[in-house]
Amino acid sequence: MKTIKILHMYADMLDLYGDSGNMEVLRFRCKKRGIECQIDKYSIDSDMPDFSSYDLVYIGGGADLEQQHISEDLLKCREGIIKAYRNGTFLFLICGGYQLMGKYYRDADGNDIKGLGLFDYFTVAPNSRRKRCIGNIVIETKITGKAVKVVGFENHGGQTQGIKTPFGKVLYGNGNCSKSEAEGYCEKNVIATYLHGPCLSKNPEISDYMIEYCINRGESEHIALEPLDDTLEKECRQVMLDRLLKK
Amino acid sequence: MKRLLIIIGKIIVKVLRLMHRNAGNLPGIILWHLSRHKAVSMFKVDCPIIAVTGTNGKTSVTNCIAQLFERSGKKIIINKEGNNLDTGICSLLLRHCDMSGKVRADYLILETDESHVPVVYSQLKLDTLVVLNFFRDQLDRNGEMETLIQKINGFCKTFEGNLILNGDDPNTARLGRANPKNKNVKYFHAEPYAFATQKIFEASEGRFCPFCGEALEYDYYQYSHIGKFICKKCGFGNYEPYITAKDIDLEKPVFTADGHTYSPKLNSIYNVYNMTAVAAAAKLYGIEQKITDGVINSYTVKNGRMENFMLGDRKATLNLAKNPVGANMTLRVMNEMQGEKELLFVLNDNVADGLDVSWIYDINFSIFERVTRVVTSGTRAYDIAVRIKTAGYDPANIVVRPDLDEAVEELARTEGRKFVIANYTAVQPTRSALKRYIAKHGGNK
Repeated sequence: MKTIKILHMYADMLDLYGDSGNMEVLRFRCKKRGIECQIDKYSIDSDMPDFSSYDLVYIGGGADLEQQHISEDLLKCREGIIKAYRNGTFLFLICGGYQLMGKYYRDADGNDIKGLGLFDYFTVAPNSRRKRCIGNIVIETKITGKAVKVVGFENHGGQTQGIKTPFGKVLYGNGNCSKSEAEGYCEKNVIATYLHGPCLSKNPEISDYMIEYCINRGESEHIALEPLDDTLEKECRQVMLDRLLKK
Repeated sequence: MKRLLIIIGKIIVKVLRLMHRNAGNLPGIILWHLSRHKAVSMFKVDCPIIAVTGTNGKTSVTNCIAQLFERSGKKIIINKEGNNLDTGICSLLLRHCDMSGKVRADYLILETDESHVPVVYSQLKLDTLVVLNFFRDQLDRNGEMETLIQKINGFCKTFEGNLILNGDDPNTARLGRANPKNKNVKYFHAEPYAFATQKIFEASEGRFCPFCGEALEYDYYQYSHIGKFICKKCGFGNYEPYITAKDIDLEKPVFTADGHTYSPKLNSIYNVYNMTAVAAAAKLYGIEQKITDGVINSYTVKNGRMENFMLGDRKATLNLAKNPVGANMTLRVMNEMQGEKELLFVLNDNVADGLDVSWIYDINFSIFERVTRVVTSGTRAYDIAVRIKTAGYDPANIVVRPDLDEAVEELARTEGRKFVIANYTAVQPTRSALKRYIAKHGGNK
């Protein structure tokens, strides 16, 4: 049986807004197809893992206070994460996890939290804690090769700038900055986004893109995924698309 | 100017009454605008004000504290309808003040929304603030938990009145250090009950010491992040409790506090914490023990909080769950019950619910036992259906009925025990739908 190995970083600290649900969705969709999904956890007190041995590394979002706690620890993992990313490990990053892979995060008081600097973008929080991008969001992404509408919920103060390859185009909501056109950041093996919901809960194409990527790592012949019955998930997304886009 | 505002406000209340409209919030909203956002500043209140705030349990504790004074023969004013924002409190005071804005009562007992504590009590002098707990709830409205705590902490920095705090919640206990000069900080605490755990069971906040950043250590967790904690580095959590609940036995249910035994009607650990807060207030204000006994031992809740209905001959229990903590507790109660059962989950995403429904992924549905069918309803009926499916529940046994009447019909179609979970704005519509079913098909409530 094919196995995919996932490293869920800081699960105990970065778990706002049901982001751990993304791991539940991946595990569920693997199980339905007889793919073993091994999810290991890493947190501040853990031993340094071999990041390159994982097919996917996942970091969720957290409150500002928690992000400060982990940023120092994350910097210790810098070499390992960069090496893994270059070896083709998939990086799936939500909200705080997304911000911390950039150059820096400047908080509301003007203090910089150093990012990993893996990507060129950077994030600046507005001076007022009240100014946040909050609400339902719809984006359209082409990461799977086809245009797919993705529905989620954004809740971030930080304004992320300096992005050349966004995850998607904003159809409803804010995106990387207040009322911006682009949302998130992506590469072939990176999805970084502000979408909670959790992000994968009603966007099965995105889950399957990552699973397919992972099971095909190091394979000479392409392995296709068996389709699943996603009636409920698609209906769930459609309800929100009807509500948000057809006004 | 203040006098004029009072008169305008009173006229609005009168007009609304004549139109048979509830004057719960609207007069306050109008005065809020007219008074440049200082809606309660025009009132003169000479009696002590007791405010109750926190994520869960505000209504229960406010009602019980009000009863302590009422049964002691005092004249009290309380915001019974749960109008707990500055505008709601303004509307309440408008109905009880004279033309000069003077409010006559012995005590004001005010349930106050967490984010409105600084707003309201920078305008009215507060005697006692009771803070019950802070959980992940309606996060999108309040920004983030930390922002909310900072707001109340800012208020506490200059507050010198009584502060009754849940000493087992690091999010509330930290407020005790906001003003080192305040000698009136009182913590309530509970010893472990039978289901207290060594490890944390549900998603939570407050893992780190807010003062030095060290990971907090727990002797035990009662539920979520509530339990006996300590920071080994700076000593946060090391306090002398004002009152402690001991010998908690939820089977009976009984507990003791200050050497006195109580036999409450409700058998949850939440209720023990709420009632310990009530006992703390009773102690502070020197309420007769007989009266405190009467209030704590008779308190029970309606309005969708473990409320029973008979749908024909099928028993259904409705419980409000506005956050994962409440929902997890209901699932535990449901699981502990013998035999097969069916669940109706009603999920709305109106403004008061918080528009974000991702909190449902912090509900631990994998513990489902002997649940033979799930019906889902509400504005986010599909989201909760997908969530339960993702937890591994067979989607063939999930029925989605966004319309509430159809959902109740569907639930009652089969025999057996029923459970209903509804979030904040879903509770009243769900109660109405259950009652409509009973009116049509028989049963009682």
